[in-house]
Amino acid sequence: MSDQIKPDELINKIDYSPGSGNWMDTTPSVQIQPGMYCYAAKAESVETLGLPNARPWNPLDEDWHLPENWQEIIFNGIKERLERFRTFKIFMDVCVRCGACADKCHFFLGTGDPKNMPVLRAELLRSVYRNDFTTAGKILAKIPGGSRLAGARPMTLDVLKEWWYYFFQCTECRRCSVFCPYGIDTAEITIMAREIFNLIGLNIDWIATPVSNCFKTGNHLGIQPHAFKDMLDFFVEDLEEITGVNCAPQYQKKGADILFITPSGDVFADPGTYTCQGYLILFKYLKEKYGLDVTWSTYASEGGNFGFFTSHETMKRLNAKMYAEAKRLGVKWILGGECGHMWRVIHQYMDTMNGPADFLEVPMNPITGTIFENARSTKMVHITEFTADLIKHGKLELDKGRNGNRIMTFHDSCNTSRGMGLLDEPRYVIQNVCDNFFEMPPNTIREQTFCCGSGSGLNAGENMELRMAGALPRANAVKYVHEKFGVNTLGTICAIDRAALSTLCEYWVPEVEVYGIHELVGNALILPGEKNRTQDLRMEPLPGCEEDE
Amino acid sequence: MEIKQSLKANKSLFLKKWFQATIETYPKDSARILGKDANRFDNPVGAITRESLEEILDLISDAYTSITLEKALDPVIRIRAVQAFTAADAVSFVFALKSIGEELLDPSLYRQFDRMVDEIALAAFNKFMKCKEEIFLLKATESKRRIHRAFERAGLVAELTEEDLLGSKKS
Repeated sequence: MSDQIKPDELINKIDYSPGSGNWMDTTPSVQIQPGMYCYAAKAESVETLGLPNARPWNPLDEDWHLPENWQEIIFNGIKERLERFRTFKIFMDVCVRCGACADKCHFFLGTGDPKNMPVLRAELLRSVYRNDFTTAGKILAKIPGGSRLAGARPMTLDVLKEWWYYFFQCTECRRCSVFCPYGIDTAEITIMAREIFNLIGLNIDWIATPVSNCFKTGNHLGIQPHAFKDMLDFFVEDLEEITGVNCAPQYQKKGADILFITPSGDVFADPGTYTCQGYLILFKYLKEKYGLDVTWSTYASEGGNFGFFTSHETMKRLNAKMYAEAKRLGVKWILGGECGHMWRVIHQYMDTMNGPADFLEVPMNPITGTIFENARSTKMVHITEFTADLIKHGKLELDKGRNGNRIMTFHDSCNTSRGMGLLDEPRYVIQNVCDNFFEMPPNTIREQTFCCGSGSGLNAGENMELRMAGALPRANAVKYVHEKFGVNTLGTICAIDRAALSTLCEYWVPEVEVYGIHELVGNALILPGEKNRTQDLRMEPLPGCEEDE
Repeated sequence: MEIKQSLKANKSLFLKKWFQATIETYPKDSARILGKDANRFDNPVGAITRESLEEILDLISDAYTSITLEKALDPVIRIRAVQAFTAADAVSFVFALKSIGEELLDPSLYRQFDRMVDEIALAAFNKFMKCKEEIFLLKATESKRRIHRAFERAGLVAELTEEDLLGSKKS
């Protein structure tokens, strides 16, 4: 019992210094720091979507040009959502503030800002809920100091600004919910807060403009069909130079076996473009060897869905084109590329939102006969499940040596790991196309993975400090495996990750490069009739071919 | 007693007090968590700060240059450069050493120790500026590198190349 604390030691430990004040006292004017927030949505983008209060505004200005009755709109917005979403109602009531989530958020761990503790971020909204919607809150408000006792506060402009600042410092990654004994999903609270912002025109531009682009032209970057095709044609030229084989895809082919949809980042942004080339090689291989007929679509040219970060209705509008195109083309089922939040939308919402897609077949891999039971209802399969299945059945000829210079680790994307439980398939694929694979520490991977810090529409440039701070817990683990095992490649299956982690590595671990898993597959896959390959998909010499250059 | 020996002898006390002072630059509710001696992957700010401070103490109780100081400061400053600190607040933790020195060292060593602290502070400021420059460069070039480069390769845009714009700054 000698390690028990003695009374005098205990007395010495009492901290008599006054506290930092009650968290509910928002600073008289909320400190919105440059580098930590994203620019306001452009009026045109808000207008395209027909969302309310489209006007130019600046978060740093005193006046946000809100509608006169903004408090009433917010009150009604919360009321409607409490009635509509049982989860939201429960999450508002059930938290006991145990603090299990407090140190689990990458933004809290990186920024050190207490309002980024998931519990406190949620309390920002809960305090208003208590004030306006609970009986206890209403009764206590009538006695002096009662509101404070109830943890309640009225909706003021400062509270609104504080909401806006902190609900755009959450990537909806759900790591906190893994540790919550009640299973409170803070992401869902953020989703509701952002829906409410959109009722009074408070979106950020990095979400609103991609959504508007996607609504108008089919993808977040607003690239028109001919440019989409031009990019893929260009990849085909490069691939012909690298492999000697023409891997040209087909577009909008009616009656194809499978419709393939991937995030537009794979087509337009490095290093996703190399992952895209990996898909082209795989589909060419399957066509030649097994006659599998895969089609792309310039209409359903976006797998991602930034509508998810705007409102349920906007998400539904953008998602609808996947099933619409599958129906129009008469394919059997849909194959999806390497993406993060796209899969959360597909796995958790699409089936009941735009489904049931009873015009499609239960996905079966025609080459192996495997039925993808998990996709029985959505009819959409993740490409790493598909490729893992092909490898498991010995259907792919792979030369691991071509990735011999890659010492890999794998970053589980929040949405595929926590949102759909896709944990082992990407690892299985990596280990079959590459010899060197090292896991990051267990408390930073799989269900406990740390977010890249740029998800849920926060991958903008102006909030770089926030992104890099949020990326610290992930980078810290990458750095560890880099130093311990010489890891030089961070594999990932998410388009946002491919962009965000590349920047993360440049700042925190510059020796590590980011690769999509199908880029590695593309390197390793031995195409029928290929020439003696000396270059990888980045046109750098393959291991052992350095002197040929 | 010579200053280096004195620093070596008091290293664990220096580290404990300096770490505490550094963590207290965060809001109180956060400092309580970041100050915990937790697993380095559960509490990266706490762990990296502690390691970085320890390395600096090891350096000043042995031999050091501004270059080795900057290298030792890199992990902790790299973090503070992306947090919502002002430039002054980001490097202020270095000066906490002065009062710790007054508590732990012989008064005859104060002046010499203060000069050491000044050198650490200057190295910290250098490192802070370098980190900020890296951030600005990332801000300026990220989208260009990711999206524009792909378009350039495909011949969909024709203007100054990335190399032209970045010159020799490309990192």
